[in-house]
Amino acid sequence: MRIGVDTGGTFTDLVLLDGRELFVHKLRSTPDDPSRAILAGIREILALRTGAPGAEAPIAPGLDVVHGSTVATNAVLERRGARVGLVATRGFEDVLRIGRQTRKELYNFLVPDRAPLVDEGMTFGVAERMLADGSVRQALDASTLDGLVASLRTGGAASVAVCLLHSYANPAHERAIAERLAAEGFSVSASHVILPEYREFERWSTTVVNAYVTPLMDRYLGRLQEALHDTRLSIMQSNGGSISATQARTAAVQTILSGPAAGAVGAHAVAHAAGFPRVISFDMGGTSTDVSLIDDRIGVTTESTVGDFPVRLPIIDIHTVGAGGGSIAFIDPGGALRVGPRSAGADPGPICYGRGTELTVTDANLLLGRLDPGAFLGGRMSLDAGGARAAARAMGRTLGMSDMQLAHGIVRIANANMERAIRVVSVQRGFDPRDFALLAFGGAGGMHACEIADTLDITTVIVPRHAGVLSALGMLLADVTKDYSQSVLTRVDLAADAWLDAQFAPLVARANADLAREGFDERRRVIACMLDVRYVGQSFEISVPLAPGYRETFDAQHARLYGYSNAARPAEIVNVRVKASGVTDKPALPRATSADPAAPVPVTVRPAWFAGRRVETAVFRTEALAAGEAAMGPAILAGGQATTVIPPNFRFRIDALGNVIASRVSSGGRRRASKAAPAAVPVS
Amino acid sequence: MRIDPIEFEIFKNLFVSIAEEMGVTLCRTGFSPNIKERLDYSCAVYDRDGETIAQGDHMPVHLGAMPLSVRAAIDHVAMVPGDMVVLNDPYRGGTHLPDITLVAPVFIGREKRPSFFVANRAHHSDVGGMSPGSMPLARELFQEGLIIPPVRLMRGDAIVPDVMALLLANVRTPDEREGDIAAQIASNRVAEKRLREIVARYGARRVHGYATALQDYTERVIRATIREIPDGTYTFEDALEDDGFGAVPIRIRVAIRIDGDRAVVDFTGSDPQTTGGVNANLAITLSASLYAFRCLVGDDVLYNAGVRRPVDVIAPEGSIVNARMPAAVAGGNVETSQRITDVVLGALAQALPATIPAASQGTMNNVTLGGVHPRTGRPFAYYETLGGGMGGRNGLRGISGVHTHMSNTRNTPVEAIEHYLPVVITEYALRAGSGGAGAFAGGDGLVREYEVQCDTSVTTLSERRRSQPYGAAGGEPGASGRNTLIRSDGRVERLGGKARIELAAGDRLRIETPGGGGYGREQQG
Repeated sequence: MRIGVDTGGTFTDLVLLDGRELFVHKLRSTPDDPSRAILAGIREILALRTGAPGAEAPIAPGLDVVHGSTVATNAVLERRGARVGLVATRGFEDVLRIGRQTRKELYNFLVPDRAPLVDEGMTFGVAERMLADGSVRQALDASTLDGLVASLRTGGAASVAVCLLHSYANPAHERAIAERLAAEGFSVSASHVILPEYREFERWSTTVVNAYVTPLMDRYLGRLQEALHDTRLSIMQSNGGSISATQARTAAVQTILSGPAAGAVGAHAVAHAAGFPRVISFDMGGTSTDVSLIDDRIGVTTESTVGDFPVRLPIIDIHTVGAGGGSIAFIDPGGALRVGPRSAGADPGPICYGRGTELTVTDANLLLGRLDPGAFLGGRMSLDAGGARAAARAMGRTLGMSDMQLAHGIVRIANANMERAIRVVSVQRGFDPRDFALLAFGGAGGMHACEIADTLDITTVIVPRHAGVLSALGMLLADVTKDYSQSVLTRVDLAADAWLDAQFAPLVARANADLAREGFDERRRVIACMLDVRYVGQSFEISVPLAPGYRETFDAQHARLYGYSNAARPAEIVNVRVKASGVTDKPALPRATSADPAAPVPVTVRPAWFAGRRVETAVFRTEALAAGEAAMGPAILAGGQATTVIPPNFRFRIDALGNVIASRVSSGGRRRASKAAPAAVPVS
Repeated sequence: MRIDPIEFEIFKNLFVSIAEEMGVTLCRTGFSPNIKERLDYSCAVYDRDGETIAQGDHMPVHLGAMPLSVRAAIDHVAMVPGDMVVLNDPYRGGTHLPDITLVAPVFIGREKRPSFFVANRAHHSDVGGMSPGSMPLARELFQEGLIIPPVRLMRGDAIVPDVMALLLANVRTPDEREGDIAAQIASNRVAEKRLREIVARYGARRVHGYATALQDYTERVIRATIREIPDGTYTFEDALEDDGFGAVPIRIRVAIRIDGDRAVVDFTGSDPQTTGGVNANLAITLSASLYAFRCLVGDDVLYNAGVRRPVDVIAPEGSIVNARMPAAVAGGNVETSQRITDVVLGALAQALPATIPAASQGTMNNVTLGGVHPRTGRPFAYYETLGGGMGGRNGLRGISGVHTHMSNTRNTPVEAIEHYLPVVITEYALRAGSGGAGAFAGGDGLVREYEVQCDTSVTTLSERRRSQPYGAAGGEPGASGRNTLIRSDGRVERLGGKARIELAAGDRLRIETPGGGGYGREQQG
C-alpha cells in the first residue's frame, strides 16, 4: 500500500491508493517539526480507509511512503542551512562570490548584492591544478591536507564542499581531498560527484547548495525513518522521480524543488488517465503560479536556480511567476493599472478575507460573482464583499471606471500575466499552445483557466477531481529515478560508437547498482541514454536520445526551437546523460461507471459578470456532480478546495475519473470580450 | 483611440515578451562567446517611424544607440518585404565595428510601408582589421575592421550571397561570423512572427495606438522624475587618461540644466576628438545620458522612445563625445561611455546627493587575445571584458567584481576558455582592499591572470589606471587598476591602460581592475 505525503507551508496533504479506491486527507502542517503532522496524517488516513474517519490507525509494517518536502528549499531561502567550508583551487576562491560578474537589475542604483551561502573566512584554497584535457598541471601535495583539516575544524565547518577546476575531466584531486575529509568525519560534497559537468560557477554553486542543505535533510530524514521504522520511505526529487530516504540523505540538493515537481507528475498522471497526453499544467496559488508543459512526457531543464544560486541538475521544467490570487492591484506613478508582483499573501490576505486593506485578484473575482461569499472553501470561511467593493469604487474613480469595470480589468491583467507565463513554456520552447489542453489546479487555477485558455486559443480545460492534493498524488505515482551525467566535450564526427559506449558504461553501471540497491530487478529498470549536443562554438545544448541518427534528431530539434538548423555545421557532444528509472507499481485511478448523460441540478442561480456583462449563472457543488453529467456555461462549480468558473462560451462535463472537462463552444468570447470591455457596457 | 488602462498593461506585456524572446533565440544559438556566454547584445521593437516601442533589458550602452541604427537603415535602404539590413558603420547607425546590427522591416498585409521594425545588435568576436578581436589601438576607423554601411543582407527572404561572401572574407573566424549572423536573423524572424500574430489578434489600429500610448507613458514618468530634481545648472568634469598614443588626458565636461520637467545635457567644452580609438559617436553619448535618467526612475518603466523626449543632449560635432569620420572608435563604446556616465552622474549628484552613488570602476577592462591555435593550426580571436568595483551607495556597499553602468556582460567560465583557447587562467579572484573607504565602501575590483600557451597578440583597452573612481559624500576614491606583464623568465613590466603586446608561451598578463569609490565619510573608531 502506497501513501503520498506532501508537506506544504500550511497544509500536509496525504493520498492513499489501495488498488481499488483513492483516499485523500489534509491536515495542518507542523512547521517546527514536520514529522508530527506526517505521522498523525498517516495514522488518520489509514483509519479513513478502514472506515473510521477521525480515528487513528496504527502504522502497519510494509507500508510504502513517498514524501516530498520543502525542507531543503526553505533552508536555502531562509538561510538556515549548515556552516559550509568551501575547498577550492588556489587562486579561484572567489568564483562563487563573483558569479557571472553581472548585476541582477540594470537600472537600479540600489541593486542588492548576492548573499553567499559560504560565510566569510570559510573558503580554503588548495595548491593544485588540473587542465581541460584532464592532465595535471600542478599535483596535489597530500601533506598539505593536515592543515586543511585543522582549518576546517577551527572554522567550525559542519559540511564541506570540494570544488576544484576541471574535476569533471579528472576527479583525482577532488577525490583524494574528499576521501581524506570523509575519513576525518566531515559531511563532504565533491563537485565531480554532484555534477560532473564543465562551467565552474554553476557546478560549484550546485555543490555548495548540496553541502548547505544536506546536514539538515540528513537529520530530518533520519528522525522520520526512525519514527516510520518498518516502512519503506522514499523522497520525492526535483527530477520528478523518487529515491530512497537513505540515498536522499547524502544528496539533498536533488530534492530541492520536489513540491512543484510532484505537482507536474500528478498533472501528467491525471491528464494521461483522462486521455489528454499533451497538457500545460497551470498551478495558480495565492502568491505564485507554476506552469509546465507536458508533451506526452514531462519536460526537464538543467538551468534552474534556487534563490540566487544556480542548481544545474535535471529538474522538471517549471516556470514560476510571482502572481496569484493574492496579487495586489495598484495604480502606478504613470497612471497605469498594475497587478502584482506584490501579494497580500495569507496574512493579511485579500480584503474580502477580513483583514486585508489592498485590492487583490481574489477580491475582483468576488465582485464579479465568481466566488460564493457564503460557501468559500466549502463554507469553512465567509467572505466580506463590502470592503472589497468600497476599495474598488475608490480605485475605479481614480481611473474613471466603475467598480465592476475595474474588477474585470484586474482579472484580465492577472490573466495576461498568466498568459505570458504559458507562452514562456510553450511558444518560447517551440510549441504551439493550441495543441495542448490546459490542466488547472491550485486554489485559483480553476477560476481563471477557461478565460486564459480562450485568449490562447486552447479549447480544452481540465480541472482534476483531486486538484487540491495533486502533488501528493504525483508522489504516489512517481517512479524511482536517478540522473547521471558526465562532460565529454567531443565532436560528433570523432565520437565513434565504441567510444560512446565506453563513456556511457560507467554511468549505466552506477545506475544499475543504485536501482538494485533500491530493490528493482532488471525487468523493472528503464535506462535511458541521452546526449547533450550543440553546434561547435555554441553554448547551449539540446538533449537528444542516444540512437542511430541522433545528429539528425539534433538538427530537427534545433530547427523546432530556434527556427533554423545547419546539417553541414560540425556538432559536439557536451555531456552524456543517463536517466535510470525503477518502475513502481501504480494502481489505476478509480473510475466511476458513467451514468447517463444528464443535466445536473444547480444548487442556486445567481448573477455573475463575464466580459463586462451581468449573466444569471448556475452554481453547482463540485462534489455533488457525477460522472457523465454535463451542462453549458456560464456556471460556477464551487468545491471544498477550489472553485471552477465556466464562462458562457464553454460547456463542461464530468468524466469517469471525476475530472471537470470544459470545452470551448465558440471563440466569440475572446473578440467580444476585448472589444466590448470595459468601455460603456452597463454592468451594474 | 481611447486608451484603456487594462489593455495598456496587456500590450506592455506583449511587447516586452517579444524583445525577451528575441534575446533568448540569439543567446542560445549564437557562436561568439560575447553573445552566447557574455550576453553582449540587445533586441528591440520599433514603430513605423523607427521609434522604440520596447527594448529588452540587455545592454545599457545600446539604449540610445539602437534607434539610430533603425533610422540609418530607413534613410539608406528602401526596404521592401523580405529585406533585412545589416550595418556596423559607427557613422551610419553603428557604435563600434564589432557590434553588428540587423534591422528588419515588418510589412503587415498589403501596406506599402513597414508597420514596424525589429532590430538586434550583437558583439561579434572578430570583424577583421589590424588586430585579432577587432578592438585595436588604431588611428583611424579603417584600421579597426570591416566597415559595413547599411546594406541589404537579405533580399526576398534569402541571404544575399555576395554581401555575405564579402563580409566573411574580411574576418578572421568566418565560420563563427556565419553562425552568429544566422542567430541574429532567427532572432528578428521570431519578432516578426510575434508582431504578425498580435496584429492578427488585436487589429493594427489598436496595436499602433497602444505602442504610442506606451511611449507617452514612459515620457510622463521621466518628466515626473525630472520635475523632482531642483531646477538649476549642474556641472562636472572628469577625464579619460589617454588615447593610447600619448599621455594627455582627454577631458569630458557636462552642464546639466534642469528646468521643470525638461533636462538639457550639454557637453560643450569637452575636448576635441583624438587620435586613438576612444572617440564616442553621438549614439554612445545619448545612451550614457539617457541611462542616468532611466536609473532615477524607481519603477520598472518600459525603456522606449519616451525616455528621450524630455532630455536634450547637446554634443558638439568633432568632440570626444560626437566624433567625426574617420576617427577611431573601438573604445568609445566600452570606455568613453563609462566616463560619460561618471560625468553625468557627477553633475546630478550635486542636485541629488542622497540618490547618486560614488563612481564605479569606470572601465570595462577590455582584453583581446589572438594567434594561431597550435592544436588546430587555425586562427583564434578572443575578446572579453572584466568587472570591477561598484561605487558605494547611500545605504549599501558597492558590489565587488561586477559589471557596472554601461555593461552587464557575463564572464566566460575559466573551464570554457581553457577548453577552447591555448590559454590557462592562473588566477581569478577579488582584489581585496581596492574599494574606496566610506560609510558605505566601494566594491572591490577583480584580478585575472592569463598565461598564454603559444605566441599570442594581446590588446588591452582599459581606463582608471592612473586616475581613480571618485568617492561621494565624503567617501574615498577607489584604487586605480593595474596591468602587468610577467615574462616566463620572471621579468615584470608595468603596462599602460592601452597596449598592444606580443606574448610568448609561458608569459603571463595580469589585469587588476579598479575598485569603486566609497559613499559617505567613514566612521572613525
